[in-house]
Order: sequence, then structure tokens, then C-alpha cells
Amino acid sequence: MMNSSRTVACALLAALLSAAPVAQNHDHHDHKHEQGGADAMHQDHSDHADHDHSTPSDHTTEASNPTGNGDAHAVLTHTDDIHAALEKGGEPIVADVMGVVCDFCALAMNKIFSKREEIAAVYVDLDTKALNLVLVPGATLSDETIAELAVQAGYRVAAVRRGAQALGNAS
Amino acid sequence: MRGYLRLILLPSLFCSAVTARPVSYTGGWTIIEESDRQSSSALVHYTPAPSWSIGLRTEVNRDNDYAIYSVHPTLLAKRWFGKDYQGNLYFHGGIGVASGVYGNPLRDETAVYGGIMADWETRSLFAGYRSRYLDAGHFGDQFMHAARVGYAPYEGDSGDLHTWLMLEIDHRPAEEVPITATPLVRLFKGPLLLEVGYNLTVNQPLLNFTYRF
Repeated sequence: MMNSSRTVACALLAALLSAAPVAQNHDHHDHKHEQGGADAMHQDHSDHADHDHSTPSDHTTEASNPTGNGDAHAVLTHTDDIHAALEKGGEPIVADVMGVVCDFCALAMNKIFSKREEIAAVYVDLDTKALNLVLVPGATLSDETIAELAVQAGYRVAAVRRGAQALGNAS
Repeated sequence: MRGYLRLILLPSLFCSAVTARPVSYTGGWTIIEESDRQSSSALVHYTPAPSWSIGLRTEVNRDNDYAIYSVHPTLLAKRWFGKDYQGNLYFHGGIGVASGVYGNPLRDETAVYGGIMADWETRSLFAGYRSRYLDAGHFGDQFMHAARVGYAPYEGDSGDLHTWLMLEIDHRPAEEVPITATPLVRLFKGPLLLEVGYNLTVNQPLLNFTYRF
């Protein structure tokens, strides 16, 4: 019994160790898939002067989806840091993130994104499942990079909106 | 060598640290402490990539007076993403040394273990399952599995205090009382997670703690 049980335990451990590369490949596959999604993301590199700071949005609001399919797009959540970075002229970005359900998810993305020098402010809004970013003035961050950073945090980006669209001001 | 291992791993028992997520973000560290009706454990792990983590784990089996000092890898085999939910499937395991404690004279043995964990979670509902088979040589072998359901009475946002009411049912076939029930409260705030519960079947407390950084 002891020998057979030890064999089972060893087999489980061996399966665990040998499965790691498979998981890595799986993630890589997912990422590739995500890149495809990123290509399809709508990009609005609106001029920063378009920002409408008079919008009374101390809390997140959701803009209507122009497609009229019943979904709504999250717009930038205004925290103090986000607001300050916007005032300096940074580009606002809102990324819809899949699977964000808890504070550990938010913590992971905060840690990963706040390390980037292009990013002046970051906030993960669990209510809208959105990653809110404001870039350093003059800095750029591609949709693909945002998707890759989300993967590093363990999550997946569904869509990215920038500029006026991120602020909910797109016509 | 084994004494050296103990020197490294024993202090982790006294670090406050469980996890909702045994794999963190790339470059993240996590300290996990778990204490249930049978054992107390501490795990410190590092996440080199979002699909796996590697850590050092100490576990003291209070029923049978032995401790296990092990290297503990965890693989995130699959994560299901939805707009409002997340599901995960993990494989975990470890290999190390089992050693007598509290005067247990048995000589040291190699210990190996492995199992699966799975969870599905929204912001207000949780369901999870975990299992483990352990072979600690002459200290004995052991199988356990447990299922847990949870409900959050309100949905907190980032940085808020998140509160979950949970019920865990565990099954340990070799125990005198194989099936027990433990209601618990999970409190979650930023990098900290604390679970406090009480096993109603065998009158034992449950205390789990996680810190992620």
C-alpha cells in the first residue's frame, strides 16, 4: 500500500512539473489570440485638448454603446491621482479587462502597470471591470503593450479606448 | 542539510500570511498561512510567470507529530475569463523532508504530495474545490479534499473591505471523523486576506492569512 501510494504521489508531482511548459504555451497561445483582439480595438488618439474637465464624473459612469447592442463602455474613473495626471495633459486610456472580480486582481494590475514609466496614474475599477490609465504627457503605450502587461498580471484585455472616447466624450 | 532546510523554513510558520490565488502576478511574492483541524502551514512563493509559482512550504501535522519542509510549485493550468467571472484550475505539489516534532522519534523521511485546486468566482459568489494526496513515508500517507461555497453580501470596489461568508466541507477518509463542516468569514482588503472560521464538527478553529506584495 505504502509503495503504491508513494508511486501515485510521485506521479502527481511529475505530472505537475512536466505540465509547466504546456501551460506556458497555453498562455502564449492566449496572448496571440489577444493580439488579434487588440488589432480590432478601436483606437482614438484624440488630442489632449479635447479633454472635458468640466464633466462632473467623480465616479465612474458608463457611456452608451454606439452599436446599440445593450452593452455599455466604461469611461475613465476619476480618482485624485487620475485627475491630477489628466490636469497635466496625459492621455486617458480605459481598458476593459476580463475576469476582474477581486482586490487581488486589482492589486496585480496596479503593481504591473505602475512600474511603467509611461504611466502617470493607474486605477482598477472593479465596478466597471476597467483598467484606468493616464499616461505621462508625451508618452505613448500601444494597445498591444497594454494587452501584454495585462497578461503579465494574469488577466486579459477585451477592448481599449483612448482620448475623448475614454472620457465618454466621443461623438 | 535537513537542519539547514528547517532553519530556513521554520520562521515562515510564524509569519502572518492563505490565498484565494496560489499564483500571483509576474514578479509577485505571496505569504500564505493556513491552519485547519489537522495541520498548520506556511508558504512563501514567488511568481516568475503568470502561469506558475514556486515556493517554500512548512507544514506541521498536529495529529501525527511531524513536519514537512518542501519545495512547492503551483501551476495555473487554465484560467477562464468572463466579463463578470473568473475560473481557475491549478495543479500543486511538493517534495521535501518529513521530520518528527513534539518528541516524535521517527527518523526523517522524504515526503511528496500533489493535488488540484479549482475555483469559480464572481464579485458575489464563490465555489471552490481542492484535493491533495500526501505520502510522508513511515509518517503515513493521507488524502483529503474539500469544497467551499461563498457569498459576498455586498460588492466592494478596489481598496474597500470585501467580506465573504463561506462554508467549507472537507473529507479526510483516514480521520476518525471523515467529514466536517466549517463556516468562515473571509475578509479581503488590498494585499491582505484573512479567513476566520470554526469547524463545528470537531470544534477546531480555522485561521488563514495571505499577504501579497
